[in-house]
Amino acid sequence: MTPLLEVDRLRISFPRPGDAPLVPVDDVSFALAPGELLALVGESGCGKTLTGLSLPRLLPAGAEIGADSSIRFNGQEITGLSERELRAIRGRRIALVFQDPMTSLNPVMRVGRQIIEAITAHQRVTRSAARERAIALLTEVGIADPATRVDEYPHQLSGGMRQRVMIAMALAGEPDLLVADEPTTALDVTVQAQILELLDRLRASRGMAVLLITHDLGIVAGRADRVLVMYAGRIAESAPTATLFRQPAHPYTRGLFASIPRLDATNARLPTIAGSVPRPDRWPTGCRFHPRCPVAIPHCSVERPPLAEVAPMQRAECWVAQGEHA
Amino acid sequence: MTREARIGVTLGGLLLLLGVAGPIIAPDPLAPMSGPLLHPSLANWFGTDQFSRDVFARVAHGARISLGVALIAVAISTLIGTAAGLIAGASTRSGSAIASRCIDLGLALPRVVVLLVLLAAVGTLPLPLFAVVLGLTGWPGIARLVRGETLRLRHAPFVTAAEALGANTGRVLWREIFPGTLGPVLVAATLGVADAMLLEAGLSYLGLGVRPPHPSWGGMILEAREYLGAAPWLLLAPGVALGLATCAATLLGDALRRSLQPDAK
Amino acid sequence: MSGWLLRRTASAIATALAAAAVLFVLVHYLPGDPLAAVLRDRPATPDVLAALRQRWCVDCSLPHSFARYFGALAHGDLGPSPSENRPVAMVLAEHLGPTLLLGALTLLIDFTVGLALGLWAALRPQSRAARMVSALSIAGYAIPAFVVGMILVWLFAVTLGWLPPGAIADPLLPADAPTMTVLFDRLRHLILPLATMVIATIAVPLRQQRAAVLAVAAEPWVLAARARGVPPLAVAWRHCWRPALTPVVTLLGLWLPMLVAGTVFVESVFAWPGLGSLIATATEDHDVPLVMGAGLLLIVMVQLGSLIADLLYRVVDPAQRAA
Repeated sequence: MTPLLEVDRLRISFPRPGDAPLVPVDDVSFALAPGELLALVGESGCGKTLTGLSLPRLLPAGAEIGADSSIRFNGQEITGLSERELRAIRGRRIALVFQDPMTSLNPVMRVGRQIIEAITAHQRVTRSAARERAIALLTEVGIADPATRVDEYPHQLSGGMRQRVMIAMALAGEPDLLVADEPTTALDVTVQAQILELLDRLRASRGMAVLLITHDLGIVAGRADRVLVMYAGRIAESAPTATLFRQPAHPYTRGLFASIPRLDATNARLPTIAGSVPRPDRWPTGCRFHPRCPVAIPHCSVERPPLAEVAPMQRAECWVAQGEHA
Repeated sequence: MTREARIGVTLGGLLLLLGVAGPIIAPDPLAPMSGPLLHPSLANWFGTDQFSRDVFARVAHGARISLGVALIAVAISTLIGTAAGLIAGASTRSGSAIASRCIDLGLALPRVVVLLVLLAAVGTLPLPLFAVVLGLTGWPGIARLVRGETLRLRHAPFVTAAEALGANTGRVLWREIFPGTLGPVLVAATLGVADAMLLEAGLSYLGLGVRPPHPSWGGMILEAREYLGAAPWLLLAPGVALGLATCAATLLGDALRRSLQPDAK
Repeated sequence: MSGWLLRRTASAIATALAAAAVLFVLVHYLPGDPLAAVLRDRPATPDVLAALRQRWCVDCSLPHSFARYFGALAHGDLGPSPSENRPVAMVLAEHLGPTLLLGALTLLIDFTVGLALGLWAALRPQSRAARMVSALSIAGYAIPAFVVGMILVWLFAVTLGWLPPGAIADPLLPADAPTMTVLFDRLRHLILPLATMVIATIAVPLRQQRAAVLAVAAEPWVLAARARGVPPLAVAWRHCWRPALTPVVTLLGLWLPMLVAGTVFVESVFAWPGLGSLIATATEDHDVPLVMGAGLLLIVMVQLGSLIADLLYRVVDPAQRAA
């Protein structure tokens, strides 16, 4: 089956005059099959949001995609497309859901109008037909009384409802891929579960692939098909969800799991990963995690490990995981 | 410091220099020079006016007067305005409510109108009194600002903490809230200097403010009207000085505002 | 909405009346010769003086005076003007037109050209042209309007002779002159006062619009709209400009007081026969009733401006309508 999305050696850099460029995303490669839910997990600053934004090419001003980076969607190379051609893709093939529903909705525009805007951006429909569709979308995302809600302003809706509206807008173009950047971070825990369930349902009913970007390992379990763990602009580990949770290979992933509080823990102190996330202008040499790694060997500070297979379908960018010893 | 701030400080410094040192090195502003309406020259840097008086000397003395009047006025309006604003914003009890109504009324009366009505009734005012009256009309703006800040700070956690520790309203007002208002008050005061200078110059231009023999930039511009063609320096010298002075005050005020609120543009 | 409007209008009227009352009381207690405007330094016999004092209620008590003035006001009568010996209301009516003309045109230019320039400057904030425009507008705002006016007169009227130095029309133009000539003449007289007013006030909407658009352009919903494939023009209009409108609208209310302050001085520079120069000459003549009347009119205009601004704010910002 042809992958829906193939990202090859993605490199995002910010040139700085008189200084070396900032490279917050460095050589990231992954593929996504149609209907698959891929989770991109990492702490803030690891480059996961930029990776997500690079797909519809909505990077901030000054960002450059590497010359030999390639993003292929449905077999078509999209890195070289013009702005006009990209607009045909945005919303229609690749849709984005943002983190903060408070500020991601235009406060002076009615919710229905914003959804209709998303619809008419890609299809020619009459006003009434668009409105019908908007109401249908609101129903699909689980908003009660959609016929009334459609004429309301964002400030009249709760956080959870606003996020559902965002999802409805994202679905308006019938996209093949939905990129959800921390879709539940700004919401209460109970609402989080509902939104995730919604995404799951939509994925099943529409056959839509989802790239779920998050820092929360917890929401990934039981939902994602595969997980990519990102650290310092690179992919540290990639594995099917069950495998990752059962036997994390990369020391960073292990550290993440160890630091999740457990109800049955007996010791009083919560384990943490020593040190802090490096800054994009000061990536460590060799393996970027080595200064904080509990099992680092001398080779780690010298040469960067490749993302190689350490178990069936599981890859980790770690010398130790790949079988090396001190 | 931003470029704007630097320009403001430079201009302000120059004008301060003019006001302080100018009258010392310049000839007597009332003494007649070699002749009337002379072009600017090495003898008379800004030329002479219709009474053969040295224009540079008049501009320099005018600087002292304009700045002096403006500073006195701003001092008065800041004092009254801050007090009124603090009282008005302090609580919802009757005292505060009355103060608040007073501020609203003060805001409803345009400053220019009040000044003109006063001047129409009373006529000429001696210079210090003029400055005081100018100040007495400028307090509502600052009061509104301080009232707003007081209301905002009243609900701040650190104020609640002080109250929980047993401080009474007055103490809270003075020690916790008042310092928080100083920043915006400083900005308003600086901009208020520009405002006061503008008003003083304008009223002097109408013949209602600073009267002869005191030289004032506004008054000089009024006198320059008749000689626009023959002696444009009579307009340009005080005009440019006044323009630079108000620009300096405005730029400084803006720069202060920006440094106190880094997110505002 | 209509309930709010009613209450807000009532509040505006009440405030205007209260302000007028305060002004009246203030004037009553001020020292000065109330008959100065009438006598104008002419000697008067004791009989004449007594009659004048009676007529102008010089020795009346405050309540009496107050009741007389505001009683008449209720009937639209602002009393007679001692210096002109005509009803104040009539004098005001004659001078209202030119001020409104100048004010309306200034408003028009400020909120079209000003907003457009502000938007333009926000869309390319680092360009030299944009920064220059911003700096120039600040200079225009900071420098006193009458100085700007005088310099314009000196440049264009005295030195170059292209435009008339003042007045609203050429007094020598015959009454039966063709319409185009009259129109052209009026236009020539309008240019300099209008330019002065615009230079003095355009900075406010311009910079406010610039700041608002810059703030909005960084907001996430703009990126979200682009992510949906919305065309760039629609993004700029619906998602940048429209939300930036809200803070600008409140300017309209601030604008009227600014106009009031500026008008007095600018009209005096150009001998523009409006309320501003009227109030200036009336002050010189110590004509307190006239100044009071004009002042009252200006107080009402300020309240009106504030009311309109509040109304517009509610219309433009949907979150406010619920409040």
